[in-house]
Amino acid sequence: MSEGFLGTAAPLAADAVLLLETAMGVALLFGAWLARTKRFRQHAWCQSGIVLLNLAVIAMAMTPSFRFEVLPRIPAKLSRPYYALATAHAGLGTVAELAALYILVAAGTRVLPEKLRITRYKAWMRSVLLLWWLVVLLGFATYVRWYIPDLFR
Amino acid sequence: MRRSVSFAVLSAVGLLGMSALTAPPRNLAARAAQKAQRAEVKIDNFSFGPATLTVPAGTTVTWTNRDDIPHTVTSSDDPRLFKSKVLDTDEKFSFTFTNAGTYPYFCSIHPKMTAKVIVE
Repeated sequence: MSEGFLGTAAPLAADAVLLLETAMGVALLFGAWLARTKRFRQHAWCQSGIVLLNLAVIAMAMTPSFRFEVLPRIPAKLSRPYYALATAHAGLGTVAELAALYILVAAGTRVLPEKLRITRYKAWMRSVLLLWWLVVLLGFATYVRWYIPDLFR
Repeated sequence: MRRSVSFAVLSAVGLLGMSALTAPPRNLAARAAQKAQRAEVKIDNFSFGPATLTVPAGTTVTWTNRDDIPHTVTSSDDPRLFKSKVLDTDEKFSFTFTNAGTYPYFCSIHPKMTAKVIVE
């Protein structure tokens, strides 16, 4: 397993995911700005691409790590920050990703029946963006607790 | 009569003394041999201690995680000679080194944590 490039104790994959998730969070804000400036087509492409890329990162990097390092210890050790932060990040992250996928399908396609489609786009999208950033911040906190030994000790 | 009692007491003390002089080295040697078959490595503050451990062949090395976060003990060799599960605080992992050689290992969660066991 390769060492990371951020100078912490993290492996390469964790450093890459941290930077990728930060970039995706910023790109989502950019996508929201595109919607505010009425460039809805670009907005749709930007947000859809990020949601699908994030799904791939969750499947390939985060889920295996969570299953190996956290899942066997919960709920017994949830009182410890190491497990609590990772679990909160994983739980809320799953909700955010599913909600984002729902918006993609409900707003961008006609796959769902009429009554399951979104009518109040703005409220949904803003809520999910807010939740997404909360998850990003929890991801930062998890990274710090897992890989930066001297901080908060 | 008094002389023979004194002789008997002195003889008993002498015998006890001789057995005391001869028995302990045998026990100590056995204990030392037994002790040489085991070695400990402590995991703390994101490092293995000692970073280099030299042991005779046949030694069982036990790693104990004294850190407040989980770590693993993973052989750097390919194929892996040993790999612990994720060790939480105070959990242990043991492996017996039967062949001479140098065995580098690391923590798979924190790859910067490296160390080695030298088996003679």
